[in-house]
Amino acid sequence: MKLELLNLTKRYGNFTALDHVNITFTEGIYGILGANGAGKSTMMNLLTDNISRTEGKILFDGTDILKLGKDFRRVLGYMPQQQGYYEHMTAQTFLYYLADLKAIPKREARAEIEKLLEITNLSDVRHKKLGGFSGGMKQRVLLAQALLGDPKVVILDEPTAGLDPKERIRIRNFIAELSRERIILLATHIVSDIESVSDQVLMMKRGRVVGLDRPDRLIERVAQEVRESVVPGHFSLEDVYLYFLGE
Amino acid sequence: MRELGRIFSRRRLVFGLALILLLNGLLFIREQRKNGYGLALELPSGGGFVSFDGSFTVDTKTVDPQAAYRRYAEWLARAKEMPLADAAAMLTDEKTALTAKITGDTDTEDDDLDYVAVNNLLAQTDYLTGYGGWLENIRKNRDNLLTFSIFNDPASFSGRNIIKTADEFEKLRGVELTLGTDGAVDSFMSFRLTDYLLVLALLLIGLSFLEERKAGLWSVVHAAPRGRLRLAACRTVILLGASVAGVALLYGTDLVLGFSIYGGAEDLGRAVQSVETLGRLPMLTTVGGFLGRFLLLRVAAAFLVGLLLWLMLTAVNNVKYTVIVAAGVLAVEYSLYTFLPVQSAFNIFKYFNLFTYISLSDLYTNYLNIDIFSFPLGIRSISQLALVPLCMLLTAVCVTVHCQKKPAAGRDLLGRVAYGINSVTDRFLRRLHLFGMELHKTLWIQKGVVIAALLVYTALGLSYTTPIRITSMAEQTAREYTALLAGPITQETFDRMDTEQILLDNDRDAYGDAKKAFADGLIEYPELDVYARKADTAQYKSEGLSMVRARCEELRDRGEREGFTPWLMDETPFESVYGEKAEYNQRQAALTAVLALTLLLAGSMTYDRQSGMTYLLKSTARGRGALVIRKLLLAAAMTALVWAVVYGMEVYTFLTKFTVTAWSAPAKNLSMLSEFPLNCSVAAVLALLYAFRWLMLFCGAVVVLFISSRVKRMEAAYIAGSAVMLIPSVLYAYMGLEIFRPLAVILPMESMPLLLSGNGALTYVTIAAMALLAAAAASIACISVQAKTSN
Repeated sequence: MKLELLNLTKRYGNFTALDHVNITFTEGIYGILGANGAGKSTMMNLLTDNISRTEGKILFDGTDILKLGKDFRRVLGYMPQQQGYYEHMTAQTFLYYLADLKAIPKREARAEIEKLLEITNLSDVRHKKLGGFSGGMKQRVLLAQALLGDPKVVILDEPTAGLDPKERIRIRNFIAELSRERIILLATHIVSDIESVSDQVLMMKRGRVVGLDRPDRLIERVAQEVRESVVPGHFSLEDVYLYFLGE
Repeated sequence: MRELGRIFSRRRLVFGLALILLLNGLLFIREQRKNGYGLALELPSGGGFVSFDGSFTVDTKTVDPQAAYRRYAEWLARAKEMPLADAAAMLTDEKTALTAKITGDTDTEDDDLDYVAVNNLLAQTDYLTGYGGWLENIRKNRDNLLTFSIFNDPASFSGRNIIKTADEFEKLRGVELTLGTDGAVDSFMSFRLTDYLLVLALLLIGLSFLEERKAGLWSVVHAAPRGRLRLAACRTVILLGASVAGVALLYGTDLVLGFSIYGGAEDLGRAVQSVETLGRLPMLTTVGGFLGRFLLLRVAAAFLVGLLLWLMLTAVNNVKYTVIVAAGVLAVEYSLYTFLPVQSAFNIFKYFNLFTYISLSDLYTNYLNIDIFSFPLGIRSISQLALVPLCMLLTAVCVTVHCQKKPAAGRDLLGRVAYGINSVTDRFLRRLHLFGMELHKTLWIQKGVVIAALLVYTALGLSYTTPIRITSMAEQTAREYTALLAGPITQETFDRMDTEQILLDNDRDAYGDAKKAFADGLIEYPELDVYARKADTAQYKSEGLSMVRARCEELRDRGEREGFTPWLMDETPFESVYGEKAEYNQRQAALTAVLALTLLLAGSMTYDRQSGMTYLLKSTARGRGALVIRKLLLAAAMTALVWAVVYGMEVYTFLTKFTVTAWSAPAKNLSMLSEFPLNCSVAAVLALLYAFRWLMLFCGAVVVLFISSRVKRMEAAYIAGSAVMLIPSVLYAYMGLEIFRPLAVILPMESMPLLLSGNGALTYVTIAAMALLAAAAASIACISVQAKTSN
């Protein structure tokens, strides 16, 4: 399974949000790091075909996702950065509605929804309306819907934003436990989340990819380059973040 | 001041209040027109005016209300210059003379207007001259009734009530009533909508006090040093200010409009009992004095109602349930106020009720004592006396609740109940597929079910038939013969007419013979008179029969020429429901349908956008094409619902009021369909008409969906939908602004010109229908492209 971004570019007038990005994603968890405006969400929206690209291609197993259309969206699980939900729906009804939109048969949907409500710790509030949920609870509902239908490509934009540390670790562990036979793209500002679960880390700055490697290799690479100024043995992914993305 | 600024910086609130004020003024004016400016407009029957409404009935002739009121004002000015008794005598004479003219069919339009003016003025003078007698009767009743054993116990409620009533009205003895313009005061006291609009305005203000709860700021405000007592005091003052402003603006509008429509501002110095509506008010004051006092009490009552609403809204922690609780309390209070019998032992709940303070005018237009431990207490006095203490008590309660109510309350009982209800509805909802969920979103989440209920209520109140005025007895007879001879036109039809004609000729010949016999002295005058009457009847029956014969011959010739079976049928039902005279009804029905459809669908796609769901929906397998198809199916279903309610009522009225047996008759036999392009049956034409209306409504629904897809906020969607679908139609159809005709979507929806031949509108409506179809097709294309492509 391969998801390729070829020369992918997105411009808004004179502003280039994504600049000739070339990446190939295979099975595994990819942590995407970047400051605000680095192009993370733009890339996510291009991958979900929610915005039109200016240039380039996105191929899924060799076929453009625009050509695949519904067939690509069938294997896609997406959790957007902005919390979108119907506040007058209960958590359970919302998940059934999304399951229907994802063309999941009712029987399968029922089993999956039960499992996901359990995992996201929402079973006890499943009949409560989403409008009465806290930010963290809404985040968990959105994560649950993204995982409905056993998607092969999972795109999670800030999945742990607004969660308390306990919830964050719970969700992070859950993401880490997800089958490795899928592509998981995880964009976040929380470096420690990425450090603990990602197979590869993608560093983005001003619409360009400035680094893509395993977290340990990135740390090693940065350690070698800045050895003189930092105490050896104390490098973390945060230092890598600052090295690549700091001013 | 900051709290006041915060409340009135909310555009939605200001818009809502402005809308209430505007609605109040417009509906007040409409109500006056509808009520014929408070005049009885009927004229004495002059004969010959009959209308068709399932059967032939006598229809009372009326006059134009506006012209009648102008004439009334002229007569009033004349009568005011005379002593009351002289004015009454003069008016009685005038009425007798005018009645003779009208019943003798020698009246002019001026006479008709004079009659209405004089008749109404006479009723007014009758009341004024009879008032002293009425007061005397109350006193006599006391003396008489106390002689009956069941009333004569002075310690019983009945006995005390009789004495109290007489005593209270005793002080009015000798009060001088004078003639004047009552219209403004009458309309002011009877226009109930203002009462409810004031409550609505206060409810909006009360809801604005919950803003911090909705925004999750309650705990912050509650923890702030000025967030408790001071804020509660501020809100109390704001509520009082809103009550003053609300009464001044809403009731002030009614009074100003009333005086500008009816005049009478110079008559405010009369005794209040001079206005018949206030005749049962045992209070010595002038009309002006009463109005001033009434407005002051109105302010206090509004403040009390506002406090009660505030209390109901703040007593429950969860904002979502506050409205339910408030609605529940209001429903119970209204039921008690409306349905509890006056004689009930619990009638205290009827009168000591929130709605007594809402419909305050009832206290002054009716006189009533209720039984409190065998003592008669005037409901007006109790309500008035209780106002200030109740306001003070409720202020204290509201302030206490505001200060003491904790944002982080422990047990949320209503929340638990809601959770239980949700668990039941969730079981049902999880079985729904995409279309079912879209239906659920529209009808339940977006409150479409309320719109549907209002639609049914409105449709039940619409008029679907128009009386068809028949101007002569010959015409009436022609319709009767048509009903008698209805069916395919054959030689037998003509033979039956010939037979009937012979009988009529015989009657006329018999009169000729009788005249000769009378001249020869063989018969007396009464016998001759019988013959004369028969001959007279035969004359107009003969004229009617000739009209039917001419119609049969015309249909026979046209049938031969155009290839359809000639068929004689009674056209009145069709004229009454679908004819040119029914245009106003058709327009009302079309406008109701368009309004309902707009309100049902305007939020459909906007709701997804406002909820921030667009990106998520579009990332799912069925979130693009399949979802658009479901939205279009939803539009079709809502169209079917609206169509079935509005036009279902029309068909039901048509079928139940009229017996149409000629369904299979070729439609071209109907005069209104003589130029119909297709050669088909009456039933087929009606089926086509209703199918066409559904199609036009559906096209409108699709356009509303398109507007909905382009707007981000629900309020904007309703405004934009209404602006496109309704405003041009209203401006054209009701204000007569021709420039808006091309944009008036109700024209193709009512579809009438497609049926009516020769009125020149067929081409226009066809073009309008085509334009609407094209707009719908373009809308579908845009919605599909928008859904299928990226942003």
